[in-house]
Amino acid sequence: MSFAGVGHAADKSAKLQQLFVAEAYLELHEGPGRGYAVTQVVPRGDAIDVLYRRTEWFRVRTKRGVEGWASQNDMRKTLLADGSLFTFDLGDRAGFTRHKWEMGVLAGDYGGATLVSGYISRAFNEQMAIEITGSQFLGNASNGYTAEVGLIHVARPDWRLSPFLTLGTGMIWIKPKSTLVLPDDRNDQTAYAGAGLRFYLTRRFFVRAEYRHHMVFTSRNENEEINEWKAGLAFFF
Amino acid sequence: MESRARVLLLSALLLGLTGCASLHWPWSRDRDNAAAEEPVSAAEEEAAANAPPPKVIEPVVERRKVKVNKIDAENIELGGYYGALSIEDFGTNPVYGIRAAYHVTEDIFFEANFGRSRAGRTSFETLGGNVQLLTDAERRFTYYNLSLGYNLLPGEVYIGRNLAMNSALYVLGGIGSTKFAGDQRFSVNFGAGYRVLPTDWLAIHVDVQDVVFQSDLLGRDKLTNNFAAHLGATVFF
Repeated sequence: MSFAGVGHAADKSAKLQQLFVAEAYLELHEGPGRGYAVTQVVPRGDAIDVLYRRTEWFRVRTKRGVEGWASQNDMRKTLLADGSLFTFDLGDRAGFTRHKWEMGVLAGDYGGATLVSGYISRAFNEQMAIEITGSQFLGNASNGYTAEVGLIHVARPDWRLSPFLTLGTGMIWIKPKSTLVLPDDRNDQTAYAGAGLRFYLTRRFFVRAEYRHHMVFTSRNENEEINEWKAGLAFFF
Repeated sequence: MESRARVLLLSALLLGLTGCASLHWPWSRDRDNAAAEEPVSAAEEEAAANAPPPKVIEPVVERRKVKVNKIDAENIELGGYYGALSIEDFGTNPVYGIRAAYHVTEDIFFEANFGRSRAGRTSFETLGGNVQLLTDAERRFTYYNLSLGYNLLPGEVYIGRNLAMNSALYVLGGIGSTKFAGDQRFSVNFGAGYRVLPTDWLAIHVDVQDVVFQSDLLGRDKLTNNFAAHLGATVFF
């Protein structure tokens, strides 16, 4: 009945993950949330197919074709065909230390202008990751955008409050406001070095605050230096 | 007499039997074999006494390897909306945009909106006859915002006797920027929405938001409130 059901079941039914209920029973909720009523239970030993996952809930189908939502905590107790426990990414403190992707939204100050910034990062290992940052700054003298790619090194990923260092390069597009002296749009290459802190909140969330020192390689005689301060909320997945 | 003859006969028979056993019958090789075997069994016993205790047999059974299939995570919502936007001082006008959301937990999601509208005429322009405060291009109202949402009241709605749909009343707030009247400003948005899911993959949204930004368009710097009401649809991926 669902999108996944229609789109995938016909051609991918063989690829659905099959699991076996090991507890006395597995509760199936009506919706992907703790408050939704339990409408079905699957007895011990019965097989279920996992259709897809939404946040902490798994859409599963019993062998009689009944579908429902099982919670992450209950799914941790189900077994694979070889009798081993079904394991998956839980989105907990361990995930903060080790994860593949993270995304976040930050706000702050970019050389006196208001900054709105978003980033996405892909980890190589627990400590190193590559990240892409896109920002817009809105100032009294000029507006503009920056796009940067850089490396981030987290010194102690296992600490709840963990410091990091970052280094990268990018582009800046500056649009001076029409009333001011420099009428032309400028785009220049930039490089930055920075440091910051990450603090794990709960579930998949953490706070990220950082400082970046930018060097703008202008076509004029001297290069421009810009300080960036920002903080925001991020999550890993 | 009789008994004596029986005793004699039995004695003769017994003697004969023992005699048979001591004789070397050509067809009987038992004695030779037994003699040959005796020293071997003694050596074996000695070896067995000196040897380490017998090992517990370790079964050489290969465990069936079960590959865990990738479980499709459907946390992303993509869609569009249409509605009415009241641009402060410039009347209420149609607005349309696109929406993308990522559900991090069952309660919390990130949302990005990009929308457009076109400002109407101020009362001053309408009354003043030929006065034009803004050019046509400047009347274009473009904004984006990055918000954090919280599913405040998850639940179900019942339509008629046979239809139950999951729903949620959510609140959200965020930051972004608004381009209007030849200027681009940092904006803050907040609002609330109602999401109904007719199926697991489709969501219908009704939401109301206020986009707030500083504007000096009409002489003095002021905070403008731009209320918008949207009707939208999104699809979960």
